[in-house]
Amino acid sequence: MRKLDIRLLRLLRNSKGQFISIAMVVTLGLCMYVSFSMTAMNLKNTVDYYYELTNFGDIFAQVVKIPESALDKVKEIDGIEVVQGRVSFDVPLKVEDDKEKVRVRIVSLPDQEKRINDLYMLEGKILEGQPKKVVVLEQFAKARNITVGDKIAAYINGRVVQLDVSGIVASSEYVYLMENEQALLPAPEKFGVVFVSEEFAQMTFGYQDSYNELLIQIKDQEKMDEVVKKLEERLDRYGVKRIIEGKDQLSNRMLTEEVKQLDNMSKTIPLLFLSVAAIIIYIMLTRIVKNDRIYIGVLKAIGYGNYEILSHYVKFSLVIGITGAMIGNGVGIMLSGLLAQVYVMYYNLPLLRSQIYYGYMVNAILLTCIFCIFAGLMGARPVLGIMPADSMRPEAPKTGGRILLERIPWFWKHVSFSWKMVIRNIARSKKRFVFLVLGIALTYGITVVPIFQGGAMVNMFTLHYGEFQKMDYSIDFNKPMNRKAMIEVKQLADIRYIEPKLEYPFELRTGWRKKVVSIVGVPRDTQFYDFTNKNQGSIRLPEKGIFLTAGLAKVLNVQEGDLITIKNFIPGKDDVKVEVKGIVEQYIGVNAYMNIVEMENTLTEKGMITGVNIRSKDRVQEKVKDIKHVAVVQSVDDMKNSFLQFLDAAKYSTGVMMIFGGILGFAIVYNSTIISIAERSMEFSSLRVLGFEKKNIYQMITKENMLMTVVAIILGIPIGYGMCNGIAQAFNTDIFSIPVFLTPDVFITAAIATIGFVFIAQLATWKKIYGLNFIEALKNRVS
Amino acid sequence: MEKKILMGVQNVSKTYQMGEVKVHALKDASFELYEGEFVVILGPSGSGKSTLLNILGGMDSPSEGRVFIHEEEITDYNDKQLTVYRRDHVGFVFQFYNLMANLTAKENVELATEICKNALNIDEIMDDVGLGDRKDHFPSQMSGGEQQRVAIARAVAKNPVLLLCDEPTGALDFQTGIMILSLLHKINRQFNKTVVIITHNTPIGEMADRVIKMRSGKIVEMKENVNPMPPERIEW
Repeated sequence: MRKLDIRLLRLLRNSKGQFISIAMVVTLGLCMYVSFSMTAMNLKNTVDYYYELTNFGDIFAQVVKIPESALDKVKEIDGIEVVQGRVSFDVPLKVEDDKEKVRVRIVSLPDQEKRINDLYMLEGKILEGQPKKVVVLEQFAKARNITVGDKIAAYINGRVVQLDVSGIVASSEYVYLMENEQALLPAPEKFGVVFVSEEFAQMTFGYQDSYNELLIQIKDQEKMDEVVKKLEERLDRYGVKRIIEGKDQLSNRMLTEEVKQLDNMSKTIPLLFLSVAAIIIYIMLTRIVKNDRIYIGVLKAIGYGNYEILSHYVKFSLVIGITGAMIGNGVGIMLSGLLAQVYVMYYNLPLLRSQIYYGYMVNAILLTCIFCIFAGLMGARPVLGIMPADSMRPEAPKTGGRILLERIPWFWKHVSFSWKMVIRNIARSKKRFVFLVLGIALTYGITVVPIFQGGAMVNMFTLHYGEFQKMDYSIDFNKPMNRKAMIEVKQLADIRYIEPKLEYPFELRTGWRKKVVSIVGVPRDTQFYDFTNKNQGSIRLPEKGIFLTAGLAKVLNVQEGDLITIKNFIPGKDDVKVEVKGIVEQYIGVNAYMNIVEMENTLTEKGMITGVNIRSKDRVQEKVKDIKHVAVVQSVDDMKNSFLQFLDAAKYSTGVMMIFGGILGFAIVYNSTIISIAERSMEFSSLRVLGFEKKNIYQMITKENMLMTVVAIILGIPIGYGMCNGIAQAFNTDIFSIPVFLTPDVFITAAIATIGFVFIAQLATWKKIYGLNFIEALKNRVS
Repeated sequence: MEKKILMGVQNVSKTYQMGEVKVHALKDASFELYEGEFVVILGPSGSGKSTLLNILGGMDSPSEGRVFIHEEEITDYNDKQLTVYRRDHVGFVFQFYNLMANLTAKENVELATEICKNALNIDEIMDDVGLGDRKDHFPSQMSGGEQQRVAIARAVAKNPVLLLCDEPTGALDFQTGIMILSLLHKINRQFNKTVVIITHNTPIGEMADRVIKMRSGKIVEMKENVNPMPPERIEW
């Protein structure tokens, strides 16, 4: 081995602490890169494979009723390959606890070989055309403890129907099991899917020889828009309610979002970690090169060229980086296996296609090399300027001068001597100051994010259920009812206030942009919805016109005053154009809102409502359960609580992020303090000779770090704010929009955590200061 | 026997900036160095002798004047050529030894021989400087004299034509100093290397073939010793 390389290894051994702390930052970054990227890739492949295996549909259409014979007509549309009809209805399930409302979607399975959205058999057997036999979706079966051979009972058309469970299945259509877009979170014990024979479904729901849903596969994905357009026209007479493209299918969309988020994270967070590592390496090398000035001179005198010496130091950076990268790769692969398992479990994917993508490992190492070589070259660059002869002479003293603060006499006069030294020290090495402050500011920012995230979810729910929606209960009827239904509800429970509600899905369009959403009609003087615009000002529903939520306005690219088209799915009703009268903030879900009277006039039937909103302290759920036409009773409090429970689980990830932030902070502060001590060993030794105690010197360094931490935290506030904004943007979907409300307690908590990290790093340097041999340091020209 | 010229120095001057001060370190120096010659450059601190040595060794370049080795002008050299010149022709010994702290004695010598073409046998050199049994010690485990002997071994092992020593005894006690001077004398005689020592210690001049005296950046006297004194008899 070359002697310079031996020197390098010994140099690394002598700075173990620094080596380990920097390598750890690299390890963390690359571990996240490799594991997130691989998991995203594996997850995507698994889902793709699952879809292929089960023949996942390209288009899903919901109609009022379409006869079996019309399916051939649909198939004639250019571009359509297969059409399959089914009957699907949501009905209540009979359960022991009367208070509990459980709904199941009963879906018919055609009696044919190659089915679209075929089921993945897990247990038991498929229906084989027997009526009253059902196969149950795995998530639901697990959540409700349903096994093969059990009987379940559903209320269908007012009577109880007993069903025998003959199998447990997984469905590619319900990987992410949610009743609808408004559900937000899967609640498999409250909503499930069961599959029955087609004959049974048609008979039970009164759909002899007809269907209410179509599953379609098309020949060419490129022609999706064309096909959908033609399909809409063709299905118009059958009362088309919704046409959903595969990419917008709820479960699929949630999965895609998840993969996308994972992929985004794999690209951003590792870069942040590598940048921090590169910065520390840069500072460290600058210091080493400075310290090695004479050695570099000697090497040059012996006959070593610039290139050889430069590469000696770049290797230093590379060894740290590659060590980190190797460990990061290894841990990343292990973690990706684990993560994939977790995802498969969480999403109830019945299979997993997992492999190791060596490309990511190569990328990880290449990326590290680029960062480290760059940091190494930048840090070791001063090597080029060292002249062998100059290096032997003592360095010329730095141009001194008064610092800015000294020119403010009333301030400077009141600063104690030790603080004067501290302030001068900081001012003397501005570059180090800038890096350290930036580093700590970054740590602070990274710490703010998880604290914010934890709070943001709570904020999101409390703002949505409480500030925006103020009702206690929301009741949905199973079919549009006359307004008189309100009276029935009122009589059954002690209700303080009740409002009618009209909610229908419509397609909103502007130009080529379109989106199917529920339009909610409520009275203009509603007491249950507090509409606010983006300036947080309350606005009232207009007599005519429509309010869109901000997310929806963005999708449709419309502003206040624009006209949009509402495509009406209700048979016999025409499409209408309405003016956007306001853009309202809503953190959960995407909706449009109208004055209920106007909505009845233009879009639906007069006098009909689909539900009511209620203010009541009564046990409404219990009391209205016997009303035949009540489909769902939601208690807003219950919703909020179940979300908050869900959030408890999220605390772990907050904790992990905090630890990551802490490691970064530690690496930054520890390294820069060690460097600072080494650089100033001569100065400290002189102070010791003058009679300073080790304690005094330690206090001085502590004061310096304290001052820098304070500056860094102030600087970190906007950094943290920016990061939170970025995270919120990245995580915003059609369904969620995370409000960026940063309260002082977020900043204070993060500040306490950052000070904690700095304190720990500071403690770790204690030994170095106490172990400083000041006589030796004074004797040597090279410290 | 006719003396062969190894190096020529013609009207060399050097000024450099130190902080905010301009220093005239060397003024119009001219002389020759002969092959196998033992030269001592004498002068008080600040007389310009280190600057002269650095220029001879290709570590620094003059502001004016020309320097030749074997009729080739090194003042024309670029950075790369100077590196090659130092690598193949010159060996340096410094006042503070300047050994790599985290390399052993032998590794310090190998550090130099690894990059040059005609290196001598390292073990033999280590024996010659009397450190055959201390090869695997680190500088921190050695005395000053031992460290300086490692530095000399490092310089000699490259088999250079010219050995430049900057105050080689400056940091050593009298006894050790004499030992180092004897070693340098032995190398000069045994390997026929040109040795140039710079020092402010006048008695050392007595062992030289030629003494060049400097003051305030100027050569003030050049004197040949017909009968140089053996280093063992020098006293200060």
